[in-house]
Amino acid sequence: MASAPASAAFNAARRRLFDAVFAAVAPPTDPLLSRRRPGRDGLLDDLPASPESLTSPPPAVRWLVRATCGYSTLDLIAFDALGSTDDARWQAWVARQLAPATIDDSACSSRLASAGFTTLDKTPEQLWAAREAIGNSNYYQRMLPIAETECATLIRQLHSQRQLFEVMASFWHDHFSVFGWDYDGGPLFPPFDRDAIRPNVFGNFRTMLQATCESAAMMYMLDLYTSYSGHPNENYARELMELHTLGAENYAGIVDDPDDDPSLPTYIDWQGKIQRLQYVDDDVYEAARVLTGWTISHSTYETRNDPNPGAFEYVQALHDAGVKRVLHRNFSAGGGQNDGTLLFDMLAQHPGTAHFIAGKLCRRFIGDVVPDSLVQAAADLFHQQWQAPDQIAQVVAFILHSNEFKTGWGTKMKSPARSVVSALRATLANFTPVPDNSSTYTPTEELIGRLQAAGQRLFYWPAPNGYPDTITAWSSTGALGLTLKLLPRLLEMHQTESYNNAYPFIVDVQGQTLGAFPNAADRTASNVIGYWCDRLLGYRPQPTFGVALDFFRQEAAASDPLDLVTDSTDNGQPQHVGVWHLNPPNTLSKHYTIARLRVAIGLLLCSPEFLRR
Amino acid sequence: MNAFNRRDFLKGCCVTALAAGTGSRARAYFAPPPLLPATATDDTLVVVFLRGAMDGLSLLPPGSASPYRADYEASRTNTRVPLSGTGAALALANTTWALHPRATGLRALYQAGHAAFVVAAGQVQPNPVVRSHFEAQSNLEFGIGGGGGNGIGWLTRHLVSGGLPANVPLPAASMGSITANSLLGSSDAITMNSGSDFRLDTFHWSWQNDDAAHGLVGGVSRMNALWGSNATLLERAGMETLDSLALLRPIDFNPYDAANNPDGYQPTGGANYTLANNGGFGTQLRNVAQMIKLNLGLRAVTIDLGNWDTHVGQGNPTQSYDWFGNQVESLSQGLSAFYTDLSTAASGNLMQRVSVIVVSEFGRRVLENSDGGTDHGYGNVITVLGGAVNGGHVYGTYPGLASGDLYEGNDVAVTTDYRQVISEALIRRMGNPNIYYAFPGYSGYAPLGIFQGADLPPSGFDQIFKNGFEAA
Repeated sequence: MASAPASAAFNAARRRLFDAVFAAVAPPTDPLLSRRRPGRDGLLDDLPASPESLTSPPPAVRWLVRATCGYSTLDLIAFDALGSTDDARWQAWVARQLAPATIDDSACSSRLASAGFTTLDKTPEQLWAAREAIGNSNYYQRMLPIAETECATLIRQLHSQRQLFEVMASFWHDHFSVFGWDYDGGPLFPPFDRDAIRPNVFGNFRTMLQATCESAAMMYMLDLYTSYSGHPNENYARELMELHTLGAENYAGIVDDPDDDPSLPTYIDWQGKIQRLQYVDDDVYEAARVLTGWTISHSTYETRNDPNPGAFEYVQALHDAGVKRVLHRNFSAGGGQNDGTLLFDMLAQHPGTAHFIAGKLCRRFIGDVVPDSLVQAAADLFHQQWQAPDQIAQVVAFILHSNEFKTGWGTKMKSPARSVVSALRATLANFTPVPDNSSTYTPTEELIGRLQAAGQRLFYWPAPNGYPDTITAWSSTGALGLTLKLLPRLLEMHQTESYNNAYPFIVDVQGQTLGAFPNAADRTASNVIGYWCDRLLGYRPQPTFGVALDFFRQEAAASDPLDLVTDSTDNGQPQHVGVWHLNPPNTLSKHYTIARLRVAIGLLLCSPEFLRR
Repeated sequence: MNAFNRRDFLKGCCVTALAAGTGSRARAYFAPPPLLPATATDDTLVVVFLRGAMDGLSLLPPGSASPYRADYEASRTNTRVPLSGTGAALALANTTWALHPRATGLRALYQAGHAAFVVAAGQVQPNPVVRSHFEAQSNLEFGIGGGGGNGIGWLTRHLVSGGLPANVPLPAASMGSITANSLLGSSDAITMNSGSDFRLDTFHWSWQNDDAAHGLVGGVSRMNALWGSNATLLERAGMETLDSLALLRPIDFNPYDAANNPDGYQPTGGANYTLANNGGFGTQLRNVAQMIKLNLGLRAVTIDLGNWDTHVGQGNPTQSYDWFGNQVESLSQGLSAFYTDLSTAASGNLMQRVSVIVVSEFGRRVLENSDGGTDHGYGNVITVLGGAVNGGHVYGTYPGLASGDLYEGNDVAVTTDYRQVISEALIRRMGNPNIYYAFPGYSGYAPLGIFQGADLPPSGFDQIFKNGFEAA
């Protein structure tokens, strides 16, 4: 075959052809970053959540990170005043936190008062009346109750001294998860948080269970309001068993004649009756019948003339009066509302419920994988104390004093919402989120929008199973990527109008740093980054400390004092002497130093040490 | 954290299973068969998950000539899709089934031979059947016949065994904040909710990026040094995230705008991804179409469309309030835009190598409830579309809607295992015969003929497990 003519014209033509071909097929990405490339065969290796070699912060920091919405230096100072050893301080801290009424929370109360919320104290009847009056005329006003609940929750997580209480309130909201922005339920949301969850956070599970059931927000979430004799709606009953009490770990699926099936184990309950340890679909259907007639006044045609519109009511005429059978136990005919309270008793005292909830609590506080011996011990306590008014406090105390809690580290990561609150607490942000429907882009709007993009806006999980609670979920590139995007931005957000330089930052990085180093000669890159490491992480781990330090100092020496008083910005502040583009020597480190410090702290917030817990 | 190493599990257990023989049912059940050699095609498989249990009887109701119409009408009043008048169902060629009136886009694809339906499809395992959303979704996505196993999804196993080329920029994408279970354990996948959001751009502007000409080191590029170690799950996740962000950074996922964003993405063929409801679904489909056109090597995609749990007020197409219809419209218009966009690409009809399979965790009960809704059921409809789909047909054997034909007297029975439909796509479209590796516990595969493409003998799970299962 003749060789191709090697003319310039031919080569040019060939190049054009190649260009055309490759422009069509070559992706615009760096092949070295390809997800599948030599050495990557498509399967992630098993890795430990927390290897032995991991350096960890001091015990007090570890415990506080795990038991609060986020560690701050102020927490540590308060902790250190509680006793002479870490163990004694921890005993005292837990005891104090489990008695939240004894903790002065006036600063948080002032913040809440200053926010000017208008819906959070309203009764169910008042909220109902407001919803009916607004109708479809004003979406912002209609949904204000959930918007205010969301902001008030953020304020409490950020500013309350009752941190363990807020951690547990968040746990129970995930457990009894209600999508807050339901068009019908959202306007009625505040009593769900205020009257069903919060009074029982450390209290009795049985009490909380029934209170959540009777709350309009839950009634709408799971359709119980419209479940009547002859046509029970089984949505609530199913999730009551699967999500609120027994858990999928105790679900045996669709089984014919479960009471005669020897493969389904039983036990003797507190009333000496035989109960099945696992539930099947028949139990769901029967439980739905048990709860017929539990509804919200005026929520349906049948209740349109009843008193107290918007309040819980039990309607005898809508209740299925027949015999029912749940978990092998008979409900004799004519039980009325007692059918429901018996069902709640049975579920609350069931050992399966104890194991399911103890497991979730252990995983929330300790790690994604916890020894079943610990779970079972916590479950036994939960079960034994099922009628105690401080049942949950006892179980929480047990977990917080367990060896697994006290010695473990890094077996959990902060979820996006926890990361954000933690960052704002650690940086002592002056931030009071409030809803707003003006055209101004407020820091509240920005924060909530970015949190939603990261996958964890509060009260925004659409399904009744609540946000996931695993490293696997929150380390997804989507959630983690958007969390890493959000965290540095917290340091750039302004009060009142997020992108407007005329307003102060919500985090006063400059002021706090100057306050920590009153003597200008001490404001070296090394000192400043060390200080912020301590503030955010509780220690100075490498390589994180070095990365932030090197970034902050640029080409200055780590021991050179930096000018943190003036900055070169375009909003009327004093300008640095020098020319930005002069290179070299030694000018870059002088420019935009305060902005650069914010970025350096942002890097600390984006470090694995900050996201670990 | 796991009792056993999942890499060893996936790669080595076939030997164990054989050695353990029939006595070790538990191990045999989980053990994968030996891998067959595979050479991946350039196809993309898009799995759309309708979360909350979509009511298949409303999406694809029996038509006027259907032997099931009378039973359907007897069971459905408030949720009925009528055959005439306002909201009448759309007639389909070659079948007595009809289509929901809001599914005009799907109907056009069906009539053109690009879409098909499989009736009475679902999960034949586990047994007992579960009616929990979360268990059933998880079961479907892990694909081992029930449970989460060792935390690896079926799409991950498909990709691992699918014979991909040595360098593929982006073999898989899970559209959402949190990775779909079907792609768990995969190092091929990127999880992202929205392409335009998925970038780091929030450091202070003057310190955002490197400026090498002036010796400036920006914040973004220092992130890698923070996460450099590969010691723990968390550090590895950080590196995977930063690499993913860097990989996609050159791509502008924002819509094209001649004046303000000339480098943005411009769908072709007049494709309209703007949905009246579920806007995020449209955006995600647009992002996926863009990535396919950019030749990133995308082989597997998961997308969710939620809000199908219609226990109350499902609506019907004769009413102005029609929740289900709004949902169907989002699904139909979104997929229609996706098809239009990719089939009119400058480089040709890319839908020739794209297949979409639409699944839901289970169907809804045949008899509607008294709240204008439907409760949890069993068998459902799987929708399939693509340029290489033998469309314009309804597949599957229908068990009937008479009470004696229903599963447990209540639900559409399942006659087609969802794994059969997917396996056919894996073999005929993706070139991967290792279906019993992707779906341990599945056996007896035979193609339904939904997809065009060459048949390959599937991996040899049958031979191993005939004894094990039947003896146990």
